[in-house]
Amino acid sequence: MPESWFLEGPAGAGKTTYAIQYCHDLVRNDVSPEAILVMVPQRALGRPYQLAFTGSDWPNGTQIDIVTLGGLARRGLEMFWPLIADKAGFAHPEWEPAFLTIETSQYFMARFVNSAVKTGIFDSINVPPFRIMGQLLDNMSKAAVNGFLLDEVADRLITAWGDRHSSRPSVYRAGVDIAQHFREYCLQNNLLDFSLQIELFMNHLLSEPVYRNFFASRYGHLIADNIEEYFPVADDFIRDVWQELDSALLIYDTDGGYRVFLGADPGGMHVLRNLCDHIEIITETRVISPEAAALVSEFDHLLALNSLPPLLEVNPGEIITIASHKFYPDMIEWVVARIVELIAQGIPPGEIVILAPYLGDSLRFVLMSRLEEAGIAAVSHRPSRAVRDEPAARAALTLLALAHPAWEYHPPAADVADALHQVIDDLDPVRAWLLAQIVYRPGRDELGSFDGIRAGAQERITYRAGEKYERLREWLIRYRSEADEVPPDHFFSRLFGELLSQPGYGFHADFEAGRVVAQLVESARKFRRTLYPDGVDQWDAVTHEYFTLVQDGVLAALHVPSWQQQEEDAVFLAPAYTFLMRNRWVDYQFWLDVGSNQWWERLEQPLTHPYVLARNYPLDQVWTDDLEFRYRRDALRRLLMGLVRRCRKHIFMSITSLGEQGYEQRGPLLHLLQQIVQRYGDVQEAAE
Amino acid sequence: MLPSGFQYSQSSMQDYVDCPRRFQLRYVESQPWPAVQAEPFLEYERHIERGATFHRLVERHQLGIPADVLESGIQDNDLKAWWRGYLGFDDVHNMDGKRYPELTLSADLDGSRLTATFDLLVVLPGQRIVIFDWKTYRGRPSKRVFASRLQTRVYPLVLCAAGAGLFGGPVNPVQVSMVYWVASYPNEPIEFEYSEEKGATDRDYLQSIIKDIDRHQNNTIWLLTSDMSRCKYCEYRSLCGRGDAAGQFAELDNNHDNIIDSIVIPSLEDVEEVGF
Repeated sequence: MPESWFLEGPAGAGKTTYAIQYCHDLVRNDVSPEAILVMVPQRALGRPYQLAFTGSDWPNGTQIDIVTLGGLARRGLEMFWPLIADKAGFAHPEWEPAFLTIETSQYFMARFVNSAVKTGIFDSINVPPFRIMGQLLDNMSKAAVNGFLLDEVADRLITAWGDRHSSRPSVYRAGVDIAQHFREYCLQNNLLDFSLQIELFMNHLLSEPVYRNFFASRYGHLIADNIEEYFPVADDFIRDVWQELDSALLIYDTDGGYRVFLGADPGGMHVLRNLCDHIEIITETRVISPEAAALVSEFDHLLALNSLPPLLEVNPGEIITIASHKFYPDMIEWVVARIVELIAQGIPPGEIVILAPYLGDSLRFVLMSRLEEAGIAAVSHRPSRAVRDEPAARAALTLLALAHPAWEYHPPAADVADALHQVIDDLDPVRAWLLAQIVYRPGRDELGSFDGIRAGAQERITYRAGEKYERLREWLIRYRSEADEVPPDHFFSRLFGELLSQPGYGFHADFEAGRVVAQLVESARKFRRTLYPDGVDQWDAVTHEYFTLVQDGVLAALHVPSWQQQEEDAVFLAPAYTFLMRNRWVDYQFWLDVGSNQWWERLEQPLTHPYVLARNYPLDQVWTDDLEFRYRRDALRRLLMGLVRRCRKHIFMSITSLGEQGYEQRGPLLHLLQQIVQRYGDVQEAAE
Repeated sequence: MLPSGFQYSQSSMQDYVDCPRRFQLRYVESQPWPAVQAEPFLEYERHIERGATFHRLVERHQLGIPADVLESGIQDNDLKAWWRGYLGFDDVHNMDGKRYPELTLSADLDGSRLTATFDLLVVLPGQRIVIFDWKTYRGRPSKRVFASRLQTRVYPLVLCAAGAGLFGGPVNPVQVSMVYWVASYPNEPIEFEYSEEKGATDRDYLQSIIKDIDRHQNNTIWLLTSDMSRCKYCEYRSLCGRGDAAGQFAELDNNHDNIIDSIVIPSLEDVEEVGF
């Protein structure tokens, strides 16, 4: 290759800006934009490129492709499928493949998991079936992104478990057996989950001459940004195409690697520097203050063990304020009050983020409500909040159940009341409850008529609300005669369009409800199109199946996409890792509950392991408490340094003596802060 | 007002011309509204899907996958008929020149970005560029209908402004032509020659649309179309208080077939990375 560069530096050093300028220079030197491939580890990180390539200073011409490895794989498989399907062992290579989502993968995995659960093999781990499905799919992805065979997953997990007395090794083996059955089913039915997409791309498509020729004639220049977040197979991919490129720029974020739990391999990707002709290392960031840089050094020193203590020229305590509270609600009040003050000083809401290690429903709700009361725009992102838990989706699902009395699923009266309150404009919760108590009788075929209610109750409910209720009731009754012709996604679309979003109903002009129901429709549509691509004679059973899977937590489990919302001028409320992966800079950060152990705990996932299922983890090494401690410490170091490097002005940290669950808080982050306070003395401490 | 990074396209501009409020909801607000667009829904969906499959088949063919390999996978008779029609469309197969299937070009238009994704461009460097656009409508619209669509104005304009890299130098409008090929009428392609005069007129017209859009405030409700028949096939009809039932697919005439043009073939942006 004529030229290749490796550019390394901390967040805020200007690496992506440099890469964008590099693209400008290529195009200025007559490189056709479509010959440039920009790779990013996840789509949010491609946003700066997308903005730059659509700016008014970007030259007219073809467009630069901005892709993730998964995106590149999927596009290649979609287009060149007929060339590889047979060779890859699919039973019906003449059929088009179905690309599975996480949800539909879980659905197909469910049949294997559920039958294994019945045998009792998973009794010892006390994990609900839908979590077993998720962890087994995770193992398959880990195998694919590391280039392992599925058998190696079990081998690694069993070896790492060591000689602890337990049934765990047989559980691991059972997990891999299920994964293999799932894989076989996919091959029989042309189903491509994420792991199979990656494997097909790496093992078949990349060596297919027509594709290879297409790739080589199309792309001459590679820009790979944030490579520290890439999977090991991305390393294989880059090495594979390396010699065919005219130039490459690889960009590495020092101390990044926030996606290790998903399979990222920052250490392995760093070795790619050895391929490059030129290596540039930037040590300074252009964004943060000297005090923030000192705080970064402090965290590095305290957590990396081997680094030297920073010089005391600058006091990192000047950019932090620590406030202690006894109870959780006090902390929330303090945070909201500080934000109100900042906004009164003219700080745009979009320059403020509130970060927690995990974002539970109640914390999210209370904070969002308090900010709303204060008239402050806020958006939240909680990846673990399922669509089905959103009020609008719950209402739609309750109405689906009411429309199908033959299913003999009787929603609780409270759910019916809540649905009526949600969807009928004039019905407050008290009236909705009253109406539900009168018209809903679990087990009865249909909702009672408003006309049949005593006059006094009708008056209390109001005739206006009663009229709308009656239209809803009639719609549901009318639908029943058509239920066999209506797939589940179509039910939600019709209910939404024909009634719930009409003037006078609760979702009319309710943009949030529109977003939520759209996500529910999408979930049902993908389910229907993947499982029943040729349709069925009677849809009622399919709709019932969808509903049951939602109730079981298998479907409608994804969150409403909110990544676009981060660009709104609003306070952003998110888990700390979510914020980091957006790679966004703000003036002010609020760290909640810094005494919590959750700042360094990882999810309890007994069937998988992010560190053991990694290419760089020795095959014969037992996972010990010492290793756990070291990896946690390193993860915390990366997290804290990453957060501080994305803060331009000030970090407000709050401590509560008792956590959300009422337990005393003495986590490692608190301990670190105490050490910094002792060292510098004059950290700002807010009075309660 | 428009989201950062927004690029105008023929379909977004057509939306604005058809109904400013629809443009506002779709592109300014990015507001999903999951109502049904046309009934019977499954028939409508199958039609859209068949169109997307046809586009993918042609792209595969243009990328070098042999026709017999592709044909062996076609199960649907309508699709097979379209495919055979395409194979018999000699104008495209016999033409010399470099082929660019599904290529996107973008150009600056007075500080706004205008983009076009071409089904197929065939380029004879320095001599000629032909835009081919596959249409999977059920009927064959008249040339006058095609002439009135914004696509006929946006595509050649973007190509002239942004095609120099493919052409090996500035593209003169007279070197550009655009061919609409309707799958159900494979022997009746509709061709438009381009000219400097048309280029100037189109540029003025598109600039006037963008200026008009720029004059709007986002905190107001933009003008709703006065042609209520459009609302029957628009998912926002309930939000606008313009009816409760979707229009009939069988009655969907060519003037409204543009909704089929807006089929979204999954882009890389939509691909899920692993995320359990």
